[in-house]
Amino acid sequence: MEPPQSRIIAALNGPQTLGNSAFFWIFAILVLIVAIFFPFYASRFQVITASNLAISSLLALSLCLIWGYCGILSLGQASFYCVGGYAFGVVGINLIESAGNTNLALIAGIVAPVLLAAVLGWLMFYRRLKGVYVAILMLIVSLLLGLFMRQTADPSYAIGKAALGGMNGLRPESAGDPGIPNITLGFGEAVAVFDGRSAGFYWLVLAILVLVFLGLRWLVNSTYGYILIACREDSERTETFGYDIRLVQLSVFCLSAAIAGLAGTLYTAWGTYIHPDGFSVAPNILVVIWVAVGGRKDLASVIVSTVALGWLSLELSRYGEVSLLVLGLILIFAMMVARDGIVSALGEQIGRLVAARGSRREIVACFKGGRR
Amino acid sequence: MDLAGQLTSYLYQYFDNATFLILAALGLILIYGMMGVINMAHGELMMIGAYVATYSYHAGLPIPLAVLCAGIAAGLAGIVMELLIVRHFYNQLLSSLVVTWGLSLVLSQGALLILGPSTLNMPTPLGSFSVGGFSFGVYRMAMTVVAVLLMAGIWILLRWTRFGNQAQATIENPRMAAALGIDTRWIYTTTFAIGAALGGVAGGMLAMTTAVSPFFGQGYTAVAFITVVLGGGANALVGLAVAAGYLSGVQTLLSVMVNQYLGYVSLFAAAFVALLVMPSGISDFLERRRSRKVQR
Repeated sequence: MEPPQSRIIAALNGPQTLGNSAFFWIFAILVLIVAIFFPFYASRFQVITASNLAISSLLALSLCLIWGYCGILSLGQASFYCVGGYAFGVVGINLIESAGNTNLALIAGIVAPVLLAAVLGWLMFYRRLKGVYVAILMLIVSLLLGLFMRQTADPSYAIGKAALGGMNGLRPESAGDPGIPNITLGFGEAVAVFDGRSAGFYWLVLAILVLVFLGLRWLVNSTYGYILIACREDSERTETFGYDIRLVQLSVFCLSAAIAGLAGTLYTAWGTYIHPDGFSVAPNILVVIWVAVGGRKDLASVIVSTVALGWLSLELSRYGEVSLLVLGLILIFAMMVARDGIVSALGEQIGRLVAARGSRREIVACFKGGRR
Repeated sequence: MDLAGQLTSYLYQYFDNATFLILAALGLILIYGMMGVINMAHGELMMIGAYVATYSYHAGLPIPLAVLCAGIAAGLAGIVMELLIVRHFYNQLLSSLVVTWGLSLVLSQGALLILGPSTLNMPTPLGSFSVGGFSFGVYRMAMTVVAVLLMAGIWILLRWTRFGNQAQATIENPRMAAALGIDTRWIYTTTFAIGAALGGVAGGMLAMTTAVSPFFGQGYTAVAFITVVLGGGANALVGLAVAAGYLSGVQTLLSVMVNQYLGYVSLFAAAFVALLVMPSGISDFLERRRSRKVQR
């Protein structure tokens, strides 16, 4: 009989992810410990930035799931992020005073993008639209939503106490109404408030990121994950085997929207701010860059690249408006030298080195080798 | 209100919108419709064309020459892009999509750094005429004529020239074409360059109707792409004309009846609906109906 912890680890490991060795998990736990203690030795600004990077990682994971594992590229992933953010803000502004918490707002921030994804996905996947069209249509949806939000400065665009506010971003309708609330969990008097600038918020986001990461690792290495890969590799053959690929695509699309919406919700609570520019080209392309440079076919690589590139953007912002230019160049470079992502390629190399050094554990990383 | 003027105005807007779509989509027809590469940087090629046209006009060149310069510059940029990057991404739709999107980001941000965020202007030439109290620019009608001429030019190029035959053979079956002694690499590069040059000409012409900025191209790529996709591949030029006619019809109707924003949204909504009905585009749809009729 195996000990239960090794069964849990076994469920998280599989050919669908890099890093299945004890070496990887020990390293991951060390990184997590460093991350947990980060607020004790970092400045307040660094903690705030780290919260943002963790939120970005969540968003990147949501694209990694559909693009890397199911082959659905969405160039408009930021639209789910922002729809989630707006939904959280609108419901939060309306309910924070009467309910005293943001439980419903949090749920709204996840459900609203899922509804959007369900409608769009139903239209696109059930009509068997080509993957390329799906990618472009998502970008167009995002740009149109942005255009709409831009022209909502008129006070008539208000939902209850929340005014959409056009280019000023979401705001309370009158001065007496509350602003976008912090994440406030709990019921009645027993609530925990997570101020976006605090270490508590950072830990909350970190915990969510870890849970989502582990959950996705479990998911992609489960039977469902194998079906996702099958859809990506050869949808016709998968269908011949009796799987309804439209349903698979729709379900994973909705799950991805839920994760992106959660990220958007946290982002809105982080800065108590949400703005139509979130729908524009730049945020959408950023997500694609994070995922493509990291390695769309591996979850951990995507988190590494998101944190690294996010940090790089911040450093570069000291030198004026060069960060998008540099990130664009990095994207082109990555696509030229390592089609499946730089971090993934490095990860596979490390996996081989570890394996070559005599670790007897199975390094399934090599299993994934071979470029398509 | 005078009816003749009103009607002319609607008709004028309709052709204006259609011309806009055709000009933006022309270069993409060759690059996507023929080569199967999605060039997300097409709008940025138009941006290059727009800048070159504006600068050469202000340097004293007459307008037709300035537009020609725009085409040449964008064509050269297209050659560089093809040789350095796009070449490695043929037959990989999603990868080509991502890498050219990165390219578009680099080009627009590069233009922002080098040329600055301020907008440039070029006067609209050719004056105007008026019908029943409404005044119309002659230049926009000239643009329609040029768009039609360019379409005819592409048709002649593909149908009647040696290059066109070789290009079609290459697209149909690259290995066989290469075995017959056609330099397929050169064909790909040239086709891409012509597509880019058409984008440049379009950018140069549109520069006279709107302000030129580093993000000039951003709005065009999506519109151009949706028009080409809706047009379909079976008979790309006819498809483009029908798609542009249909989309601008919807757009004009809605912007006249409600407002500009809804007109713009309706363009995409109309394209979306049409794609749901005809997933492989209008020309494929027409082609299939025709062949069905022949069978009967």
